[in-house]
Amino acid sequence: MSGRSGGLVALGLLLAGFALASAWQPHDPFAIDLASRHAPMSLDHPMGTDHLGRDLLSRIMLGAGNTAMVILIVATLSFGLGSLVGVTAGLAGGVFGTVLIRSAEFVIAVPTLILALTITTLFGLSAVTAGLALGLATWGPYALLAHALTLRTLGQPHVLAARSLGVGRTGVAARHVVPATADTLLTYLASDAGRTVVSYASLAFLGLGAETSQPDWGAMLFEYRGYVFDAPMLLIWPGLAITLTALALNLALEPRAGSSRFLASKEA
Amino acid sequence: MLDGERRSGAVGWLFRVVILLAVVSVAAFAVLHAVPGDPVIIALSVQNLPVTPETVAALRAEWGLDRPLAAQYLHWLAGFLSGDWGVSFRTTRPILEEFGRRVPVSMALGFGGLALALVVAVPLGFAAAVRPGGLADRVARAVTVLTQAVPAFWLGLVAIWLFAVELGVLQAFTGPLSERLVLPILIVALYSLGSLTRVYRAELLAAVETPMYRTARAKGLSRPAAIWRHCHRRGLFGLLAALTPEFGWVIGGTAVTEVVFGLPGISQFLVESIGARDYFVLQAYIVVIAVWMLAVFTAADLLGRVLDPRVSR
Repeated sequence: MSGRSGGLVALGLLLAGFALASAWQPHDPFAIDLASRHAPMSLDHPMGTDHLGRDLLSRIMLGAGNTAMVILIVATLSFGLGSLVGVTAGLAGGVFGTVLIRSAEFVIAVPTLILALTITTLFGLSAVTAGLALGLATWGPYALLAHALTLRTLGQPHVLAARSLGVGRTGVAARHVVPATADTLLTYLASDAGRTVVSYASLAFLGLGAETSQPDWGAMLFEYRGYVFDAPMLLIWPGLAITLTALALNLALEPRAGSSRFLASKEA
Repeated sequence: MLDGERRSGAVGWLFRVVILLAVVSVAAFAVLHAVPGDPVIIALSVQNLPVTPETVAALRAEWGLDRPLAAQYLHWLAGFLSGDWGVSFRTTRPILEEFGRRVPVSMALGFGGLALALVVAVPLGFAAAVRPGGLADRVARAVTVLTQAVPAFWLGLVAIWLFAVELGVLQAFTGPLSERLVLPILIVALYSLGSLTRVYRAELLAAVETPMYRTARAKGLSRPAAIWRHCHRRGLFGLLAALTPEFGWVIGGTAVTEVVFGLPGISQFLVESIGARDYFVLQAYIVVIAVWMLAVFTAADLLGRVLDPRVSR
């Protein structure tokens, strides 16, 4: 697929840019220079400066860090909680298993915004808490998927053989169930990375992500939203960063085929 | 005219609803009590009242916060059920009144967007199914790829800049509400369009594989006519399933759009209230959204039974 290889190339470029950005930025992203507020695009400031004279390119380069961190937090939580709850429910079965699956379904129905509001209210505003909130909002579909895969694996001949040879539940879980579910779960996890970028940016735009002093794409849009009439380029650049990153991730990591109905999307 | 089995189903449903609402309301109540900082002190300072032991104790007693937690919960629940949802510190108006003004705005945005998406999704999905890989199919795919990567709020900001600033065809913030709703509804519709079109198209193409379709073609119907007469109904069933969560998000899922366009809906109210630490609004919002979701999923379940008798057995 041309979209896929294009996405992979874009993703490679982004990662290279990210590696560069974590080591070097053209200007200090935090340096306030009121003399050169709202500077236009130039060689010195390729994306211009913001209302405090901070170099926009440097802020966007460093802002990639928060996005990468949130992707990692969300992926870890979705995968960890999802496979823990799903596999446990599949192995345990009975009332306990039903309760676990019902709780996953309940979490799917809770609006992300409410969860994020609650968690940031309790633990303070930062990219980490926003990532935690997103992770806690998105593990439900993974649990359902892990549950279905667990039930399917448990019915297969090699697992029955292992059981009849006297391998206990935990042994079967560790050697057969978890590896069988992890593969599929990781595929969906990768395909969700682009959605995480957009969801996190939305939370940050609502003021529920990183604080605006930090370079952060969503928080930049939150901070600059009042300049839509006077300095629209301040809004164009961070938005382009979010969009291109999400697009590259989506195209590169899209699962090849199969049902995505398990992972119905949820708006932030 | 309920027979025994159905009646027990209804009782079971009622039981589940009551349990679920109890869980949700306890959770909502717990949030307020887990919040760092005393809401009484926050409320006093927001209203510029002196924070003295006397005023704190007085407000605490007025809100019933000096009683045991279980009694407080019952007090709050009784108030909520009788329409006393408390007062917003920030706007100093009853929360129920605020919701009464704002729910119609959120509904107009959500339902307007969804209706528009549906009106476009059926012909687009139909054209895409008639010629897979054709122009309509590629347009639908482009919409999906685009809306999965472009944040809705950013598209909103760009639209404001383009239509209100550059072209000057719309007043984004100052016009009458009906004019201010145009762009937001278009954006909400665009973000539902991709998935709805995909579901409808996939159902049509699945139906094309059936013997029923081949028979229709053998009778001499053209591909579009055969799909319309014999596959469309199945497509609508698929849409109904896809629409259920969409309806669920109608009043809670448009938060960023409400904020970008400054629309006085309930989600914008929520976001502003949290900035001002107006936690009673959060409590009310959680319960309102839960009740709405329950209503939508129950209605979809009942509709599914009416349309497909196999489900109810």
